[in-house]
Amino acid sequence: MSDVNSEEKTNSSIPIGRMLRSDTTGFTFGCLLPEPEVPLFGDFVKAPAQQGLTEIIGIIHNIVIEDDLFVRQLIAAPELPEAYIQDQRKNRQIPIEVSVLSVGYSSENNIIQGLPPQPPVTLDYIKRCSLSDVIDFTNVQDYLALILNSKETPVEELIGAALQRASKARPIEDRELFLLQAGKELARLLSDDLSKLNSILRRIQVNI
Amino acid sequence: MGLELNKLSKQVNKMGTTVASRSAEIEARLPKARATLKKITNNDPELKKKIKRALSMHWTGAIPTSEPVHAVFPCPKHPKRANIAAADGSQIYPDRHGIAIYYLINTGSIIFRHGLDEAPICSSYPSLFYENHDLYPNEVLIPSSLVNARRDITELRELAQIAEKEVKTAPTLLMLDNGLLLYLGLQTAEHRQSEEILGEYLETLSAIESTNACIAGVIDRPRAANVLRLLRLYDMENDMFDTNVLRSLGDYSQLTDRMLFGTLQPGERSAIFVNASPQNLERYLPKGQKIVFYYVNAGTREQPVILRVEIPEWVANQPEQLSLTHAGVVEQARFGDGFPYVLMRSHELAVVSWTERGHLDEMIGSSLHRSGLSAVVSRKAQGKQWTNSAKRRYGK
Repeated sequence: MSDVNSEEKTNSSIPIGRMLRSDTTGFTFGCLLPEPEVPLFGDFVKAPAQQGLTEIIGIIHNIVIEDDLFVRQLIAAPELPEAYIQDQRKNRQIPIEVSVLSVGYSSENNIIQGLPPQPPVTLDYIKRCSLSDVIDFTNVQDYLALILNSKETPVEELIGAALQRASKARPIEDRELFLLQAGKELARLLSDDLSKLNSILRRIQVNI
Repeated sequence: MGLELNKLSKQVNKMGTTVASRSAEIEARLPKARATLKKITNNDPELKKKIKRALSMHWTGAIPTSEPVHAVFPCPKHPKRANIAAADGSQIYPDRHGIAIYYLINTGSIIFRHGLDEAPICSSYPSLFYENHDLYPNEVLIPSSLVNARRDITELRELAQIAEKEVKTAPTLLMLDNGLLLYLGLQTAEHRQSEEILGEYLETLSAIESTNACIAGVIDRPRAANVLRLLRLYDMENDMFDTNVLRSLGDYSQLTDRMLFGTLQPGERSAIFVNASPQNLERYLPKGQKIVFYYVNAGTREQPVILRVEIPEWVANQPEQLSLTHAGVVEQARFGDGFPYVLMRSHELAVVSWTERGHLDEMIGSSLHRSGLSAVVSRKAQGKQWTNSAKRRYGK
């Protein structure tokens, strides 16, 4: 558990980016060079909304590293020295765009799984959810239906990654039960789409 | 109605053919120019006599140095370790239609440590000018030419500061995205400011010299014709010419030095010449800062890019420093598609976008409101904001 605590302290309290654009179903934030551990596909993140009255919880479903003409020109350069690469990566402010699917929000200490009443606004800080945030949010599995219904996300991969994150947030002895319950909820939701169900279950079985 | 492109199509087509045929005519003058360059010898007493007379008539040609005028020099080896720094500036001019009268100079700089695998050091420093003595140096609003001159001196001062620190670790090359002859397109009323700025510029060049760093002003797509003026002078049958004849390029009309040196191979530079402009010989020379120049091909065999590189004579006189300017420009241009990478980055660090300018105006507006002042743009500026936005036409 000491490892879990230190990870929580290191990653959850630090903003990982700022809001670029949003709507009710999700939002996109920008950040500079990604750290090895943040942000990751399937991570749970949170963003303030309604002037701090609510906190939107979402799952990262896409990370886009933009290019520009300057970078394109350098790609063709032979034997590009490391200093030029470091300059482009560390000094130039080309934001990395991270897209998030909104799956719920917390309001007055209640967690609601569903679309938030208002999206976050431009330049708000985005933070990674702490392990306890993830555990609290994923104790109920209604958010899985939101992911399954989303049109623009790789649904099977995203559910697999999110469930793995939520499982790893828990003590080892609780993980199997958590994934079993998630599997049952997925079986209920996907009773008419056995191939998709099978595909997701295979992804989460690996980690049990 | 805005620009109706459909009404321009005939004119654009005609322009295309006209430009192509003019270009062919100009190119046809090049062989004679190159042949003349080959004929010139540095110790020609007749030419020396002509140059002396021409200089007395404010001739703006190129004076040969000890290097044969038609010589080419291959790119020397770049030192394994060198510091390459560049600075560039951008400005917001005072706008009497804006929410307040002010001007801004933003200076961007980059220090690239060649030979170390580390990210360069990047900085940008904005300065806001709003005091009476900044805005009304002669009781009238400061002209854009004076803002430009202040921007140029700020760039050079930034490089001088960098030089002091960087020379302690490795040979240091400073680069400017411009020539080193400060352009002061000022009116008579700004004479005192012009003198002050030029004085400060020359002092800063001397300060750089004392650090042992070298400096190069790099000009992309130069339009200068100093060397062609030398060829024109050589062609004259005797030294009985007048100012009007000296001003024209004769058979070399509309050619540029860049075209003349278009045969340089990748990495090669031309001979060094002294810029004969009166500003150089009357102002820079007495202060020990005479400016000389050469042309270099910083591109490839397929896509030559002829740059003009201006350096002080004290750089040209030190073989190691001269080599560093030559190799440094060529090496940096390898990663900037023919233009030094550090200059591209310093421009990027300095440039103020329209969006950023809008944010600055909002900040200033809020500050004025807090002080009980109204902050509104003029009616004309407001009208432009409305009408310059994307047009929407409903029906006919």
